Amino acid sequence: MTPPPLEQSLITFDNVSRFYGEVLGVNRVTLSIPPGITSLVGPNGSGKTTLMNLMTALVRPTRGSIRILGITPHQPEKLFALLGYSTQFDAFPKGLTGFQFIYSFLRLFGKPHLECERLASQAIERVNLAEAAHRKIAGYSKGMRQRIKLAQAIAHDPRVLVLDEPLNGLDPLVRAETIAMFRELANQGRHVIVSSHILHEVDMISDQVILLSNGYVVAEGKISGVRSEIRDQPMQVLIRCNRPSALAAKVFDEDSVVEARLHSDGGGLLIKTRDADKFYRLLNHIALNGIEIETVAPADDNVNSVYEYLIGEEPQK
Amino acid sequence: MAVYKRTYKSYDGPLTPAWSRWMIVTRFSYSRLVGFKTNLFLLACLVPAVGFAAYIYLAHNAAVLKSFGGNFASALSIDGKFFFNFCTFQIGLAYLLVAFTGPALVSPDVVNNAMPLYFCRPFSRSEYVAGKMAVLVYLLSLITWVPALVLFALQSSLAGWEWTRANFWIAGAVILAPLISIAILSLIAMAVSAWIKWRAAAGAVILGVFFLGAGFGSAINAVMRTHYGSLINLSQVLNTVWAGVFRQNLDTGLDVLDAWNALAGASLICLWLLFKKVRAFEVVK
Amino acid sequence: MNWQLWLAQIRAVVRLEMRKTFLSRRGLWVYLLAAAPVLLFFGRTVDVMRSREWFDTSVAPHAVSRAALESIQPGANLEDVEARLGEPYSRRVFQSRRHSQTWLSYTDGSNTYTFRFSDGTLEGVSTRDRANFQDDALIYATFFQFFYLRLLIFFGCVGIFVNLFRGEMMNKSLHFYLLAPVRREVLVAGKFVAGLIAASVIFCTSTALQLWMFSIPFHATIESLHAANYIGVTALACLGYGSVFLAAGLIAVNPLLPAAIVLLWEAANLFLPSALKKISIIFYLQSLCPVLAPPEKDMNPLLALLVNSAEPTPAALAILGLLAVTALVLTWSAFRARKLEINYSSD
Ligand SMILES: Nc1ncnc2c1ncn2[C@@H]1O[C@H](COP(=O)(O)OP(=O)(O)O)[C@@H](O)[C@H]1O
Ligand SMILES: [Mg+2]
Repeated sequence: MTPPPLEQSLITFDNVSRFYGEVLGVNRVTLSIPPGITSLVGPNGSGKTTLMNLMTALVRPTRGSIRILGITPHQPEKLFALLGYSTQFDAFPKGLTGFQFIYSFLRLFGKPHLECERLASQAIERVNLAEAAHRKIAGYSKGMRQRIKLAQAIAHDPRVLVLDEPLNGLDPLVRAETIAMFRELANQGRHVIVSSHILHEVDMISDQVILLSNGYVVAEGKISGVRSEIRDQPMQVLIRCNRPSALAAKVFDEDSVVEARLHSDGGGLLIKTRDADKFYRLLNHIALNGIEIETVAPADDNVNSVYEYLIGEEPQK
Repeated sequence: MAVYKRTYKSYDGPLTPAWSRWMIVTRFSYSRLVGFKTNLFLLACLVPAVGFAAYIYLAHNAAVLKSFGGNFASALSIDGKFFFNFCTFQIGLAYLLVAFTGPALVSPDVVNNAMPLYFCRPFSRSEYVAGKMAVLVYLLSLITWVPALVLFALQSSLAGWEWTRANFWIAGAVILAPLISIAILSLIAMAVSAWIKWRAAAGAVILGVFFLGAGFGSAINAVMRTHYGSLINLSQVLNTVWAGVFRQNLDTGLDVLDAWNALAGASLICLWLLFKKVRAFEVVK
Repeated sequence: MNWQLWLAQIRAVVRLEMRKTFLSRRGLWVYLLAAAPVLLFFGRTVDVMRSREWFDTSVAPHAVSRAALESIQPGANLEDVEARLGEPYSRRVFQSRRHSQTWLSYTDGSNTYTFRFSDGTLEGVSTRDRANFQDDALIYATFFQFFYLRLLIFFGCVGIFVNLFRGEMMNKSLHFYLLAPVRREVLVAGKFVAGLIAASVIFCTSTALQLWMFSIPFHATIESLHAANYIGVTALACLGYGSVFLAAGLIAVNPLLPAAIVLLWEAANLFLPSALKKISIIFYLQSLCPVLAPPEKDMNPLLALLVNSAEPTPAALAILGLLAVTALVLTWSAFRARKLEINYSSD
C-alpha cells in the first residue's frame, strides 16, 4: 500500500477566524496538526473550545477553511466516521443508562444491533465503567460522566480524537490511566487533540503544544520550542508623546523594533519589539533628543501574562 | 480554641424590621424584571387613558360639541358602563404584560436553587410569595385602577358634587374589579413560573390557560348542553364578576355566585401549585 | 444515493426520540390534552344514557300535548299553568328572603319544556330535545373543527415538535446528534418522523376513542361516524402542524412567537385572498372534514377570534396541497439545519 498523501494525514486550519457577534472567538489561526498527542493550552476564554467546535462543524468559521484528513467539517457522513469528539458540555440525553447512551448513538452510524452492542461494551470496558454501565447517567459522578463521554468519543474507533478538557474531574489514578490510553492511541498513529488550561498537566505527554491566548495562537510546536518561542514573542508598547511620527522615524532603524504604528487618536505610537529591555534603553536615549514622552506602557500584557499563567515563572528579560 | 470562635463574627448591624422584610424580595425582583422595554410598555398602556380622558372632557364641553352639530352631547354619557369599558380594555393590556414579565418571576429562583437560600433565613414562604406578588400587583395597578381612579377624579371634578355623590360606588368599583383580576392573573403567573422554568413555555401556558379554558369551556357547553363549562373560561368568569361589581346588567351566561366560586377555586389551585414549589428544595440536574 | 443507510439512520433517530416523546414527564400534558375530549364524550354518553332511562321510566308517562305546551305565554300565572297542564314531572322551588323561584318541567313525549316562574309569574321557557344522532353528529363536527383541530392538536404539536430541536438545545444535548455521521437532512427527517409517530399515535387514538364514546348511545356504525375521515384528518393535522413547529423550534430562540403568528395566520385565513389561503394548514384540513360544521352562534369572543370556516377544496387536492406545504416547510428546515450551530449559552 502506498502511504496516503501528506494532506490526508493532517488537520489543517487555513487563516480561520470566528467571531461571536462582536466577541472574538479565535482569529487568524493557521495550523497543521500531525498525528500524535496535541495539546491546546490557554486560559479560560482563550478559544480552545471554539477551535474544537470549528473542527467539528458545531460552529462555522467566519473566515478561512478547515480540513480534517482532507475532509471539510461539513461532510458529517464522512467526517464523523473517523472523528470522535468529547465536548465540554456536561449534559446528556435524559433517562438513558451509560450503555444505552453509547449504544443508541452508535446505531446512528447505521451499524447493526450486535455490532453496536459489542462496540459499546468495549468502549465502556476501556474507560473502566463496566460496573456502572447499566445505571442511569443522571446518577453518575463528575468523573464518571467525563469517562462516559470519553467512551462515546472512542466507541467507533476513530482516527481523530478531539477531547475538550478530558482530564477535568478525574482523580489521579484514573487520570494516569486515561493519559496512558491517549499515549496508546497516539502510538497507533491517531490524532489525539486534548485541551487544558494547565500546561503542567499536558506538557509531559504531548507530542506538540499549541498555546492560545485571547483567540490567537501564540506559540506552537514541541514543548521545548514553545518555551523559547514565547520568550521571543514581540511585545507591544504604547508611547504617548508630542511628535509620534518623528519618534516613529527614529525607532524604525532599530532592529529590535518589529512594527511601529500611529495610535488612532494621533497622540501616540504603538510599537512591537522583540527585546523590551533594549528598546527601553533606546527610548531613554531618544527622550534626551527633544521628543517629549508622556507615558510608556505595555499595550498588551498578553504574552507575558499568558506565559506567567501557563509556565509559572517570569519570562527572562 | 475552635477556629470559628476566632474568626467568625455574626452580623450585628441594623436589621430590616420583620414586618417589611417581604418587600426586600419585591425590590430585588422589581429591579431585575423591569427594564427599558417594560417601562415603554407601561407608558404605551397609558395612551388609551388619554383617549378616555379626552372623551370625558368632550362630554363636559358643550361648546366644543356644538361645533360637531346635532345633539351629540346627550350621546356621551359617563357612567358605570364607561368605566367598565375602560377597565376591561386596560386589564387586557395587563394580561399581555403578565404573559411577558410573569414567567421570570419565580423560575430563576427554582432553577438556580435559590429557594434554600431564602428559607434558611428568617423569612417565610408566605412572605416570599407576597414579596413576589407585590411586583406584579404594583405593575398592573399602574395601568389599571390607578388611571381609572384618575379618570374618576377628572369626571367628578367636571360633573360636580351631585354626580359624585350619586356615583360614588364607581370609585370603589374601579378599584375592586381590577384588583380581583390582578390577583388572579398574578397567582396564575406565579404558579406557572414556579413550575415551568423555560420562559417561552411559561408565557405560552399563561396565554394558554385563558385560550384553552375558553375553548374547552365552549366545547363542554356544546357537548354537554350546559352552561357550567363556562366556569373554566376564566375571562368569562371574570367578566361576570366585573359585571356584578360595576352593576352592569350583562348576560354573560353565568351566575355571579358561581363565578365567584370559580375564582376562589382557581386561586386555591394556583396557591397550592405555588406552595408546592416554594420550598427549600434543590433541583438536581 | 445511500437510501439504505439513511433509512437505518432515521430508524435509529426515531428509536432515540421515542423514549423522549412518549415517556418523558415533561410530555405528560400532551396526554392530558388528548385525554380531555375523550373524558368529555364519556361524560356525554353517561349523561345521555342516564337521562334516556330516566325519561322512559319517569317522564314519558306524564306526557302533555304539544299544542297545550306551546300555548303558554310569558306572564302567565303559576296556578293557571298548573291547572291547564296538570302535575309536572319535576318541580323545583328556590326561596330567598324576598323572592321565590319555581321551575316546572313538562314533556310532550319527546322534548322537555321547563317553565321558570318568579314570584308566581312565568318568566321564561327552555326546551330541550332528546339526544339524537343528527344533532350530536353536528356538534361533534363543530367540536372537531373549532376546538380539537385548532386548539388541542395545535398546542399538542407545538409541544411535541418544538421540543425536537429546541428542547434538546435547552437540555444541551443536541450536539450528540450533530457529532454522529448523519447528514443534517437525515437528522431532520428522523426527528420529524419520530414526532409524527408520537403525535399521530396520541391524537388519532384520542379521535378514535372520542368517536367510540360518542357512538355508544346511538349504536352508530363506523361509516356513519365517518371515523376513517376524522382519524385521517387528525393524522394530516399532526403532519402539517408538525412540520411548521419543527421548523419553528429549529430557527426561533423563543418558539412562542412563531406559534402565536401561526395561530393568528390560521385564524385570519378566512379574510385572506385565495392564493394566500393555500399557504395554511387549517384550510386543507377543513376541506377534508366529513361534516361541515356551522359556525357557532353564541361563540365566546376570545374563541371567535380563532375561528373561521374556509370554503372547501376537493379532497384529493386538499391532501396534495397539505403534503406540498409540509414538504416545502421540511425542505426549508433541512436547509436551515445545515447551517445550525451549537450555541447553548444564548438563552
Ligand atoms: N456562543 C458564544 N457566544 C458568544 N461568545 C462566545 C460563545 N462561545 C465562546 N464565546 C467567546 O469566545 C471566546 C473563546 O471561548 P472558548 O472557545 O469557549 O474558550 P475556552 O474553551 O478556551 O475557555 C471567549 O471570549 C468566549 O466568551
Ligand atoms: Mg472551553
